Amino acid sequence: MGEMTTTSAPSRRSVAPALVRAPFRRRTWAETGYVLLGLPLALLGFVFVVASLVLGVGLAVTFVGVPLLALGGLAARRIGALHRRVARGMLGEQVPAPRRFEPGPGLFGWLQAALRDGPSWRARGYLLLKLPLAVVAFYVVLVCWVEGLVCLVYPLWWQVSQPGPVAPGPFDDLGAVTFRASAAHHGPYLAHRRTLHVGDLVYLDTWPKALLTALCGAVLLLAAPWVVRGLVALDRRLIRALLGRSDDAARVRELEAARAQVVDDSATTLRRIERDLHDGAQAQLATLAMTLGQAKEKLEHRPNVPFDPAGALDLVDVAHRHAKEALVELRDIARGIHPPALDVGLDAALATLVARSAVPTTLHTNLPDRPAKAIETITYYSAAELLANIAKHSRARHAAVEVVARDGTLSLTVRDDGVGGAQPGIGSGLVGLTDRARSVDGHLQVSSPPGGPTVISLELPLRA
Amino acid sequence: MRVVIAEDAAIFRDGLTRLLIDRGHEVPAAVADGTALIAAVAEHRPDVAVVDVRMPPLFTDEGLRAAIELRTQFPDTGVLVFSQYIETRYATQLLAQNSAGVGYLLKDRVADTSEFIDALTRVAAGGTAFDPEVVSQLMAGSSRLDTRLTPRENQVLALMAEGRSNAAIAAQLVVGEGAIEKHVASIFSKLNLPASPDDNRRVLAVLRYLA
Repeated sequence: MGEMTTTSAPSRRSVAPALVRAPFRRRTWAETGYVLLGLPLALLGFVFVVASLVLGVGLAVTFVGVPLLALGGLAARRIGALHRRVARGMLGEQVPAPRRFEPGPGLFGWLQAALRDGPSWRARGYLLLKLPLAVVAFYVVLVCWVEGLVCLVYPLWWQVSQPGPVAPGPFDDLGAVTFRASAAHHGPYLAHRRTLHVGDLVYLDTWPKALLTALCGAVLLLAAPWVVRGLVALDRRLIRALLGRSDDAARVRELEAARAQVVDDSATTLRRIERDLHDGAQAQLATLAMTLGQAKEKLEHRPNVPFDPAGALDLVDVAHRHAKEALVELRDIARGIHPPALDVGLDAALATLVARSAVPTTLHTNLPDRPAKAIETITYYSAAELLANIAKHSRARHAAVEVVARDGTLSLTVRDDGVGGAQPGIGSGLVGLTDRARSVDGHLQVSSPPGGPTVISLELPLRA
Repeated sequence: MRVVIAEDAAIFRDGLTRLLIDRGHEVPAAVADGTALIAAVAEHRPDVAVVDVRMPPLFTDEGLRAAIELRTQFPDTGVLVFSQYIETRYATQLLAQNSAGVGYLLKDRVADTSEFIDALTRVAAGGTAFDPEVVSQLMAGSSRLDTRLTPRENQVLALMAEGRSNAAIAAQLVVGEGAIEKHVASIFSKLNLPASPDDNRRVLAVLRYLA
């Protein structure tokens, strides 16, 4: 598998244009907007959390305090949800919502559940931490963009600004570089010109200095997207950690889903076996019994059935055929339940499977350790299903199955040289395989470009 | 007798057709699902339809639903429902309206071809044919034993429910036919079923029994 996959790393040449393009990219503006919108939101959330905590704790001795705390927690959850939605809408940050609030029985149960509700407390934590972050982010982002822009156009502005009386400008006190009337420096005799200065000593009142300022502005503007990205990344981490699902909860969900899958899977299997028996062997045996009954009556000298040994022989012949068909059918069903070769080992079972495949298939196995029984079974049925898919859909001329156990992982790779285009979409058997793999913490990878070749690999732990 | 067959397993369908034709009956149509069954019955107006309970598309109880529809749309056509399993619910559903010309048998019963043909003929003629298994399940399912009846009468009623004649019941219980006639008359009077020209009292008694 490893030698077949090629990964494309971003080339060095594309870095420079990306730097220049960054300030104009949609993502940059979305993130800037997020930071700007973040401050008022953060302020509201912070005030709410502090107020509800203070009130709740302050009134704890009265009847209202505790319910107030509980309600505040649930409201914090809601505000957290709003933050999560904003992050999803503006940043595309997909964070799974925490589990729903599950109240206990009665008012007391409700209060207890609300006060112990982890997601509520984590949402409060987020809202408290968000304010300082939002203030810093807001300030830094504003400075980067505005100061950068001001510096960039400074030479132009400095050139056209006419001598005249000094009035306070709109950006007179923004950051380290400040506007001030040059009159203060040059004395009342010179014509007044508005200039930028750094501190009280460096006045940017010559062309080289003005151009240097412009360069600084450009650098600031180029840096702004990355500064924004960094600050937003910090916020993203906070959101994931505090507004998302806690890891334990997520893991429990995952396991629950996997367990449900396994139960479903076995129910489906049982239904399939029952269906196979009903449609196949049972129908064949019923027909067999009917045919033999019919033949018997032809030999019995009954009043209503004429004696007909030749007819009876024909019927016995038919019955004999049905009996043989029923045997084949039962053997197939039994093999479908548990292939006997699996008792010998996965490689033996796969050898049989590959030999029966409709498309010529080669097999390579390397199994120094014998996997757990469940893993062997999953591997076997996955291989069977993949080979059946190849025979049905791929129009391949050749297929290859490879099973390798290494470092506690078993990987099954099935390749074919067919038409490709296999998709693990709805209704495809690949979904079933994916689910089955997931039930033991494994996973399935599908690479099947149109035109082929198709490579499907399944990785499972050796011990489930 | 003209028979339409609805059975999705081709092998069984063919075997059944072969058997019926061999016995001198006519099989104008043998189909594989409920929709085709109703169309075939509408077209051929057979004496009786043999219907498998589980058929495509869902393989649950399509056949049974088709059978119930046949009973309302074509009351003259007998319906013999055929199944690998006996579900008491199916029997009561089949009997919901009336019990004339209806039967419910396990597929295994075809092994005794003559008995099966007898049952089919009975249903075609407007009688009933219930698998002993159906009857015993219905009896086990609830307190089927009518307390007004003696144990012997309950036994006779159960055999009546299978659709057997007095002679057959007598043979089964190893008594004379006269004794059975007495039991039957007693059952009718205890179940308050006076003689009338229109109603088949046997059927009504069975209905009371199975309902």
